[in-house]
Amino acid sequence: MNGAVGQAAVLLGLLAAVFGAVTSIAGLIKGKPALRRAGHRYAWVVLGAALVGGAAMERGLLTNDFSLEFVAENSARSTPLLYKVATMWSALEGSILLWGIVLAGYLALMAWRFRDRAADPLVAWAMVTAFAVTAFFFGLMVGPANPFRTVAGAVPLDGPGPNPLLQNHPLMAIHPPMLYLGYVGFTVPFAFATAALVTGSIGEGWLIETRRWTLCAWGFLSLGIALGAWWSYEVLGWGGFWAWDPVENASFLPWLTGTAFVHSVMVQERRGMLRVWNLSLLVSTFSLTILGTFITRSGVLESVHAFTESPIGPALLVFFGVVVVLSVGLIGWRGDQLRSPGAIDSPFSREGAFLANNVLFAAFAFVVLLGTVFPLVIEAVNDDRISIGRPYFDRMTMPIGIALLFLMAVAPMLPWRKASGELLRDRLLWPAWAGTIATVVAVVVGARGLAPLLAFGMGGFGAGAAVRQLALGVRRQGWRGLVGRTNGGMIVHLGVILVAVAFAAAQSYGERAEVRLRPGESANVLGHRVTYEGSRTVDYPNRRSVEASVRIDDGKAYAPALSTFPNATQAIGTPSVRTGLTEDVYLTLIQTADGPEGPILLGVNVQPLVVWLWIGSGLMALGTAMAAVPSRRRRPTDRVSAHRVSDDDDRVALVVPAELATDPDAESVGAVAASGRS
Amino acid sequence: MAVVLLLALSYGATAGGGALRGEARADAIARDIRCPVCAGLSIAESDAPAAQAMRLEIRSRVDEGQSDEEVRAYIAAKYPDSSLRPPTSGVAGLVWALPVAAAVLAAAGMVVAFRRWKQSPSRPLTVEDQHLVDEALRR
Repeated sequence: MNGAVGQAAVLLGLLAAVFGAVTSIAGLIKGKPALRRAGHRYAWVVLGAALVGGAAMERGLLTNDFSLEFVAENSARSTPLLYKVATMWSALEGSILLWGIVLAGYLALMAWRFRDRAADPLVAWAMVTAFAVTAFFFGLMVGPANPFRTVAGAVPLDGPGPNPLLQNHPLMAIHPPMLYLGYVGFTVPFAFATAALVTGSIGEGWLIETRRWTLCAWGFLSLGIALGAWWSYEVLGWGGFWAWDPVENASFLPWLTGTAFVHSVMVQERRGMLRVWNLSLLVSTFSLTILGTFITRSGVLESVHAFTESPIGPALLVFFGVVVVLSVGLIGWRGDQLRSPGAIDSPFSREGAFLANNVLFAAFAFVVLLGTVFPLVIEAVNDDRISIGRPYFDRMTMPIGIALLFLMAVAPMLPWRKASGELLRDRLLWPAWAGTIATVVAVVVGARGLAPLLAFGMGGFGAGAAVRQLALGVRRQGWRGLVGRTNGGMIVHLGVILVAVAFAAAQSYGERAEVRLRPGESANVLGHRVTYEGSRTVDYPNRRSVEASVRIDDGKAYAPALSTFPNATQAIGTPSVRTGLTEDVYLTLIQTADGPEGPILLGVNVQPLVVWLWIGSGLMALGTAMAAVPSRRRRPTDRVSAHRVSDDDDRVALVVPAELATDPDAESVGAVAASGRS
Repeated sequence: MAVVLLLALSYGATAGGGALRGEARADAIARDIRCPVCAGLSIAESDAPAAQAMRLEIRSRVDEGQSDEEVRAYIAAKYPDSSLRPPTSGVAGLVWALPVAAAVLAAAGMVVAFRRWKQSPSRPLTVEDQHLVDEALRR
């Protein structure tokens, strides 16, 4: 029954999305607002269908309905409850279903948020675009990636269970949904960008409408990536958290272009410039989420020639192509109107720094994209197989990362239009001291090597700048100095700096060693005394684990384990980590003992500052949330900056509120003034 | 401040450096070799038996006194396509060259853009613009 219900729900979702798009288009072409409003209602049908589909899948998983192929292939009776729920997103078809559910949620939120403006062509076209994207994903589920396919022949009594690595840590339950909330969230600004291009209202209105949506998607994506890194650290047992793996790169690419966008969008709001660039960034971000899904889900990584084996590969590739061609076509078509009158007067200005930021992020994204797809290109061209891994990415991205840290320090200190040397000296003085002190402290505690030291120094510099900004904000406005885009953004900066510094430290100074120990033996490894006390075998519902008891520095006992799952031939290690503020000691059981008195092979990783990766990521999420809280000044769409002096006077005066006039760093003085052409 | 910074950086960047020896040198080589059985990891990071065996091979060659190049060449011959560091020559070398070319182009583009912006005089307010503003305000 679950299969039939799910099947019907998915089909209903597809039909509702198609009807929604068609109704809205009809309303737009015939000029009937009533039809456009009717189109909105289909969003609720899509959401209902998606939720029923999701419920059917979860019910199938929880009730061990092995008549569903997806359940039979990916779940087992013995799978613990949490992982049964999470099994939905542990394989292709279910993850497309999750995508569909999240997308339907965003679609319904759009319909709800803009319910009063359903007749507005901008909103209607945005809905059309969102409906079209939704129709594609539900189409995938009706066709090539059907999660509700039933098994042919007899219904199996049990299934193999999910991939062992995916039923090993509770983070598996939240990392993919967070990532998808981010990935899919970029559909909303993309839909509005398309709508702006189609309707020709290419001013700044659509940007302001979608500002918070973009921020929200960006925040979830950041959190999703960080949780993925954490999962990798806690589960994979190699001691690292980021391997420049294509799957990781696929999530990182839209983050890079999205980050560029949330910065350059401020130039457009403020100065009405960079319109084509911003549209291109949004289109890139959205299409990179599709391309990333293609790369990771189509089998193209095993071999270029493998992706046609599953029909979802070509479907995603075609969709990617359609998105890119249509968007580029629209931008070209509106090219004339998109040309903006403004000019960036000086590279030493806020907008100049944002431009540099964008060039760097674009370069970063280019390097990551190139490194990810280049082996595929080479294989397609001359059948050679090459691997591109960490040595390449580390080498290429390190200078870009350091330059970005530098900008992060300087840019918030720069005023709009033009900076004087005097002002810069004044504002940068103590951030520069913070950077110097950070460098000196790093050298004193033993950090060596130019690249990591530069990273620490720039980190201190940037942190100094962010703290200065926040301190000024708090002094002026109390707790409100911590919210709003500029101040929240500074909190995000602090989080990014923590992540960058921790990343540099862990990658540069992490060490690993192996040691063979019999029960009762101790050894000094990488400055720590590890004592092996003995092993025990524990049977869990889904696995059999050998857990070694190991004391670190005669303190608490840790239990790195090696587990065998019924559906995997290779044993899966589970590391055990002593987390500390300055360093992590990470233990892995590489080989279990032959007999009770036999030796085990223990892996020991010692890496500094790892915990700050997670703290920094949390701070980024917090900062994003605070940036979404409106600061006191006004709603961005209110016209405060320009109002008529008197009724009989047709001239327009710029009235700048006093607090803005005294605050050169204040947010946009007003979109209206900048967007006379909209 | 500048002096303090330069001193700290130059000391930190050079002290404790020098040629790697033994274990560290073997580890540096191993970082560039792809583990044949695990996705995306180097043999330095992997605990897989195949990776352990390859690490031992590298270590013994390092202890015999072979140079980095000799060890790398040996590994490349025995395990084809195992390098994580793409080659710098041939078509594959493009992966190193393209970003550099793109960076140069981007920098040049920025210079040109700023030049042009500097020369372009700001356009005066047209009647049409004024009209648009009025209309926006009337709404």
